[in-house]
Amino acid sequence: MAEQASTRKNVFSKKIDKFFTGLADAWNFVKRFFQEVFLPPYEFKEVIQQCYRIGVESLPLISLTGFIVGVVFTNQSRPSLSEFGATSWLPALISIAVVRAMGPLVTALIAAGKVGSGIGAEIGSMKVTEQIDAMEVSATNPFKFLVVTRVLATTFMIPVLVMYTDFVALMGAFVNVNTNELVSISTFFVQVFDAITFLDIFSSILKSLLFGFTIGIVGCYKGYNSSKGTEGVGRAANASVVIAMFLIFIEELLVLQIVTAIRSM
Amino acid sequence: MIKENKRAVWVGLFVLIGIAILVVGILTLGGQQKKFVKAVHLTAVFDDVGGLQTGNNIWFSGVKIGTVRKINFFGDSQVEVELSVEESVAEFIRKNSKATISSDGLIGNKIIVIYGGTTDFPAVEEGDKLEAIMPLDTDKMMETLQENNKNLVDITNDLKVLTSKMAAGEGIIGAVLTDSLLAENFRTILVNLNRASANSNKMIADLSAFSVKLNKKGTLINDLVTDTSMVSDLRATLDHLRTTSESTEALTKQLAEISKKLNTTDNSLGLLLNDPEFAKSLKNTLEQTDSATFHLSKGMEALEYTWPFNKGFKRKAKASGN
Repeated sequence: MAEQASTRKNVFSKKIDKFFTGLADAWNFVKRFFQEVFLPPYEFKEVIQQCYRIGVESLPLISLTGFIVGVVFTNQSRPSLSEFGATSWLPALISIAVVRAMGPLVTALIAAGKVGSGIGAEIGSMKVTEQIDAMEVSATNPFKFLVVTRVLATTFMIPVLVMYTDFVALMGAFVNVNTNELVSISTFFVQVFDAITFLDIFSSILKSLLFGFTIGIVGCYKGYNSSKGTEGVGRAANASVVIAMFLIFIEELLVLQIVTAIRSM
Repeated sequence: MIKENKRAVWVGLFVLIGIAILVVGILTLGGQQKKFVKAVHLTAVFDDVGGLQTGNNIWFSGVKIGTVRKINFFGDSQVEVELSVEESVAEFIRKNSKATISSDGLIGNKIIVIYGGTTDFPAVEEGDKLEAIMPLDTDKMMETLQENNKNLVDITNDLKVLTSKMAAGEGIIGAVLTDSLLAENFRTILVNLNRASANSNKMIADLSAFSVKLNKKGTLINDLVTDTSMVSDLRATLDHLRTTSESTEALTKQLAEISKKLNTTDNSLGLLLNDPEFAKSLKNTLEQTDSATFHLSKGMEALEYTWPFNKGFKRKAKASGN
């Protein structure tokens, strides 16, 4: 009877059903993560391994990207400011842009591409090759070992990476500002810290924690629920990146609203 | 196992450096924004804070010394701003200092500027209220500017009317510009003026030469100008002259009184001069006297030949003959 009813449904309503089913699955997945994370056994070694892969191994890429972002953003902002003779405001402008938005956002997007897709593909291939089933059979909790460790690693490594990105991007901006405006490093950093507040730093950390969690949980969810063989692995990797990036922008918007509300209090 | 440990060390180092960057950032930020220094809290009440926000900087003599801590409404519609000022700087801010709202550059954030204050007042203390001076209102400035613009339009309109009249040859300036005869007259006037100025130049040169002579030592005028002893002499002479003129004035007054009396008939001379009856009588008297004198002369001549007087006359003639 139910089968007959489902065949009667048109494509559009089927997609709506799929969307809400997926949302419920995702919610359950997140709920399960929070249930498992506080329960022993704690896979410290695996967390460290994942931290190394996600944090240390991403550092060169993130650093280079951050440096380039700092240089390019400074260079692109200069003409607009020089139009009304305000190039001395470059450090303040870059500091606000990097600390408030670009540092966390660029780091999260790079990490979503590099780490998120890796997690999705890795767990997806484990799923289609039934390694996860094998782990369950061998009395190992695959969720705890694969999902919790990776989500924890991304959640804690992305904020650290953001710190590096902020620093490196500001250094890139300094190189550009120093070359063009001959501003000393002390003056540059005085102006940088003059423009930002504690709220900016804390919102940046909060955002990066949220972004890290999102990258990890999306990658794991997509990998853990992949199907249809090797094609499914590819899809899982792709969906991990796309959905993580999309959610990062949504979260950026939400956090921005909250921080703006706090700032105006 | 070794590989795992190595990775753990790398992760530890990685996290440590990340946290170090964060801590250094927070400390620098706190230090720069005076979050970790002891502060004195002052207040100032403004009518309008013009968009001032919590956390905006406070400047004193061009140095950042604190931040705006709180902004509250006060009284009817005033705004009380609570200022957090470094304790180490408070000793330089006097109780009669003033606070105003300014801007960090043309397009910068709003700031509070503390200025003024004299050393005869003590330094500010916790909770002191500074006198708030309202900054220049941009809207009012724009209103004035608008008024100026209107005036400028009026002036240009007037100028337009004037120039059109001038172009049409109306009025003196228009006539000068358009009438060739008047222009020729003006040219002549200018030539005359030129000549007059040449003459005045010559006169100035003469005056200059004269002043040179004046300055030449040994001349009377130079002595007059430079010799201080002569000045005292001149002053004495002037005093004498003044005394003389006073005496002359008194004399003139007396003469006026005499002439006044002479014009009346209540005294002998006035009577003599002014009464015609008396003059007539006097004339008769004089005529009679003249006649008497004539007769007396005749008598005397007769007496010369009369004895005994004839002897006396003879002796006199004899003495004069000798």
